[in-house]
Amino acid sequence: MLITGIKSRPVYDELTPMASGLRHVAAAQGSGGEPLLRLLGEMDPVQLAATTVLYSIESFTGRNHLAHIKKHQVRELFVFPTNAEAVRGLDAVLATAQMGTRLYLSGSEGFIGTSMQVATSYGMNRDEVLREHAGSFVRRVWCAHCGHYSENVTRRVFQCPGCERNLVVRDHYSGRLAAFQGVKADGEVPGELPEDEELDT
Amino acid sequence: MPAIPTPTGFTLDETYTPEGEYRFKNSREAVRRLPFPFPDDEYMYSMNLEPHVPAGDGALSAAFDIDEHYVSECAHRAQMLRDMPGVHYLALPHMLEAQWDLLELIFESYNRDFPEHFTLTKNGNEWRWQNRLLGIDDSFTFGDPATLPMDPMEYATRQAQGEFVVLEERDNTLVIGAGMTTQRADYSLQFNLGMNFSEFHGPVPKLDKLGILDRALKFLLRMKPGHPVRRVNWSLTVNPRLETSVETLPDWAPDRAKVTAENAGEMVHLRIELQPLHLLPRSNAIVFPVRTYLVSLAELVEHAPDWAKRVHRALASLDHELADYKGFHRYHAAAVEWLSQHDDGAPLATGYPWYPDGIQPGNS
Repeated sequence: MLITGIKSRPVYDELTPMASGLRHVAAAQGSGGEPLLRLLGEMDPVQLAATTVLYSIESFTGRNHLAHIKKHQVRELFVFPTNAEAVRGLDAVLATAQMGTRLYLSGSEGFIGTSMQVATSYGMNRDEVLREHAGSFVRRVWCAHCGHYSENVTRRVFQCPGCERNLVVRDHYSGRLAAFQGVKADGEVPGELPEDEELDT
Repeated sequence: MPAIPTPTGFTLDETYTPEGEYRFKNSREAVRRLPFPFPDDEYMYSMNLEPHVPAGDGALSAAFDIDEHYVSECAHRAQMLRDMPGVHYLALPHMLEAQWDLLELIFESYNRDFPEHFTLTKNGNEWRWQNRLLGIDDSFTFGDPATLPMDPMEYATRQAQGEFVVLEERDNTLVIGAGMTTQRADYSLQFNLGMNFSEFHGPVPKLDKLGILDRALKFLLRMKPGHPVRRVNWSLTVNPRLETSVETLPDWAPDRAKVTAENAGEMVHLRIELQPLHLLPRSNAIVFPVRTYLVSLAELVEHAPDWAKRVHRALASLDHELADYKGFHRYHAAAVEWLSQHDDGAPLATGYPWYPDGIQPGNS
């Protein structure tokens, strides 16, 4: 359904407690609160006591799971108004993380992707991280011409806020940039745009 | 500093950019030595890997081929790196060992295959590298990056024709770890860096369906040092433009709309990619070089008429999806129409030209 045809798009997991973990860090955003709650529900008290939760209430679809998250007895809970601040918060948490730390990410693709950039910068391997997508499949798009990142892109063709070119979103995803690729849509003949469409519907 | 003696047999005053007015042409010899990539009248996408052993007396007689465009291509690379820093050369931090491997492979190959131009002298780890074509005479300590003015891979590939992508093995796949790609055909190194084999092949149509990708990956993961393999690939490019990256697409894509059946011979260039893959001995990384050759359709007709006929037939029967992927959908018909005037329909040999029975350039 969501992954069809895009071979470079990440394949997501289901969040479930990793028994090998000595410390757990769970970062979620908006609708990602739902998988997070499921994860916390599956943890035993020892795991919960070793779990740091980061939650951003920024949401494209308006879902906020904070009240339910607060009911779980975790080691610490940090709440952020925006995804960007949550990712910076994750950076600060991982900066002090030790061997045996396991990371759980859930939310939009842009949030998971940018959080994954942070995890990679600390040398975390794929087998130490679980990622579960939740909510809308809006895309984060990198403009190949000016380098601008656009969040929450929903249309095949859109105007880049960085360079004002019309971009077409290619079905090609870069984990390193945590973004899809946007290239000039009317590159060959100005004004001759490809057909616009809703993405991932 | 001593003056660089002018090398003979190399075109120095040559450009690959609109600012330089695309001053580029091939001699008859340069055309007839090309690794011509069409063994049959009908083109089929395939991995077509074969052992990279010297063959014929053309582009496949050396491990890393150089030709009359060597000096101008190195100058173009330097200009592209200067104009867009951080776009054309990138390396992930842990790739240093592979970088030294690659430097050694390129320099040893050039030293062995073109001793009149290059000399590598080793005294333990103290190496001296002489490149008489570019007037370089440097000494450095192999393995010690502080003794070079830049990354070992950047240093070596600034002096090499073709682009170079280094792939590292990780979790049973190959991941792009570094690249020197000033001659990219419509992709972005910044974007693709860190991608695995199936991810960076994602946009190629039909590949997966044909099961080609899995087989190719399995084959590459079994490669052995000292046993390189090669394949050839091709596309079309308007004007002799080497740098056709995604980043600069707004600069070059409009040229695609300027091609007509009248000017296709001059404007449309066959872009041949010779890809000799090597497993690097210390790092276990694989280097994927793309040695790019540009030749206009008119040059093919003039110097290699049988190859021009073959290109006509291969393009005329080409699948639309592939033409679209290769980016010449808009002028595909114009190129075919122009070439049709130069194809009498005579039967042509099959097989690559570096094999004795393969298709030869023909005589005009």
